[in-house]
Amino acid sequence: MEQTEYKVRVEHLTKYFGDLHVLDDISFNIRKGEFLCVVGPTGCGKTTFLNLLTRIIAPTSGELYIDGIPADPKKHNLAFVFQEPSAMPWLTVEKNLRFGLEIKKIPKDEADRRVEEILKLLGLGDFRNFYPHQLSVSTAQRIIIGRAFIMHPDLLLMDEPYGQMDIKLRFYLEDEVIKLWKELKSTVVFITHNIEEAVYLADRVLILTNKPASIKEEVIIDLPRPRDVVDSKFIAYRKYITDQIKWW
Amino acid sequence: MKIMTVKKRERHKNTFYQILSVASVLGLIGLWIYISSTSRFPTPGDIWERMIKMFQYPIKGKNIFGHLLASLQRVMIALSFCWTFGLAFGILLGWNQKCRAFLEPLFSAFRAVPPLAWIPLITLWFGIGEFPKILIVIMGGLPPIVVNTQAGIANVQQLYLDVGTIFHANRRQMLFQIALPSALDAVLAGIKNSMSSAWVVVLAAEMLGGKSGVGFLISRGMDSMDMPLILLAMIAIGSVSALFAIALNTIERIACPWLLKKK
Repeated sequence: MEQTEYKVRVEHLTKYFGDLHVLDDISFNIRKGEFLCVVGPTGCGKTTFLNLLTRIIAPTSGELYIDGIPADPKKHNLAFVFQEPSAMPWLTVEKNLRFGLEIKKIPKDEADRRVEEILKLLGLGDFRNFYPHQLSVSTAQRIIIGRAFIMHPDLLLMDEPYGQMDIKLRFYLEDEVIKLWKELKSTVVFITHNIEEAVYLADRVLILTNKPASIKEEVIIDLPRPRDVVDSKFIAYRKYITDQIKWW
Repeated sequence: MKIMTVKKRERHKNTFYQILSVASVLGLIGLWIYISSTSRFPTPGDIWERMIKMFQYPIKGKNIFGHLLASLQRVMIALSFCWTFGLAFGILLGWNQKCRAFLEPLFSAFRAVPPLAWIPLITLWFGIGEFPKILIVIMGGLPPIVVNTQAGIANVQQLYLDVGTIFHANRRQMLFQIALPSALDAVLAGIKNSMSSAWVVVLAAEMLGGKSGVGFLISRGMDSMDMPLILLAMIAIGSVSALFAIALNTIERIACPWLLKKK
C-alpha cells in the first residue's frame, strides 16, 4: 500500500515512566478514514498510547507521524474524548460545545450551525443552558463527545468514552459514532476494554499485550454494517478476540 | 394525600429552623436589655439616643454616617487597588514559574509582617494624612487576594489544560479560558478574605491616629468613657460588614452559578 494513504504511522514507539516500561516497540499504521479499535487488559497502557498520539506526553523513543508530519496538536485537526468527565464546569452545555470552535476561531455562523446540529444529534437541546454538574454523568459525557465531533476532526481519538454509560445510551452513541464517522469520513482511534464494543465499531481491532504493551495481533473485522451483536460471525469474532486477550 | 403530609411536614421543619434563628437574635437582645437594666451597661435605647445626639452635636463635624462613610471610602479605595493589582500579581505568580521563583520569597516575607507593624515607618515616610491610612489598608487587603489567586491558578486540573492542548489553545487562551475561570472560586474566596482583613486594618489604623472614621469613634469613646458611642460604632461596623458579605454572596451566585453545587 502507498505510504501516503496512511493517516497515522507509528514507528517503534516506546515509553518509560521512570523505570516503568509502559509501551514496548509499537509499530503500525492507520489508514485514512479507518475506524481502529484498540483493546487490551486494563492498565496495559492504552491511555498512554493515545496521549502519545496527541503529544500530551512525549515518547521515550520512536516516531509518530500524522499525515507524514510528526504528531503535533498545533498542526493537526485533532479531537480527543477523555475517559474522565472533562466538560468545563464553568460553562453551560452550549458553551462547552463552542469551546473548541472559539479557540480555533471558527466563524460565528458556521459555529452556530454546528452547535445546533450537535445539540439535535445528541438530544441535548433542552439542556443547552444547564451546567455539567446539573446533569447525570452520562449526559455530561455526551457533551464531551459532542465537543469532539463538532470540530469535524481529521483524527478523532476516543479513550473509553462510554465506560461510564448505561447500555442503552451506549448502543445509541455507538451508532452515533458510526454515523458521524461515515458522514465526515474521519479517522477514528477508539480505545476500549469492551470487546463487544470493539467488534461492533471497528474496521480493525488492535490487541495489546499486558504491560509493557506491544501489539499482540491485528484482527480485521469483515462484517457488514449495521452489525448484529447476536449474529454467529459477530460472536465468533468476539470470542476469538477474548481468547487472544486471555491467553498470554 | 401522603405527598401533601410530607410537604406539610417539610414546611413545618423549615418554619421551625427559621424560628430558631430568630430566637437566637431575640435572645441576645433580651440578654442585653436584662444586663443593661441591672448594671451601668448602656441599653439599646441609650445607643439610639447617642445616635440622635450625634446628629445635633457631630463629632469632628461628622455624624455616625459621616464617619462610616470616611472608613468606607478608605476601605473601598484600598480594595479597588488590591483587587486589580492583587489579581494581576496573583495570576503572574500562579502562571509564570520564573516570576514565582523570583518574587515569591519577597512576597512571603512581606506577608509575614502584620500590616500594623508598618505604621511607624509609614507615618515617618508619609505623615498622618489620608494616603498613609489607605496604604496600610492595602497592605492588609493585598495578601489574601494574591495568595488565593495564585493557588487557584497554579492548581488548575491538568485534565482541563489537556483539553486546551488538544484544541491547540495558545498560552493566552489557556489562561483566560481555562485557568482563570477554573480558579474563580478561589479568587472569590480571596476577595471575601481581603474585604474582612481590610476592615480590621482600617479600624486599627483609625484608632491609632485620625480625625474621622468608625475606628476614630471607638478610640474617642474609649478616651471619654462614652460606652454608647463605642457600641454605636460597633453596631455600625457589624451592619456594614454583614451587608457587604450578603452583597458578595449575591454577586457570586449570579456570576458563577456553577459554584453553587459545593454549597
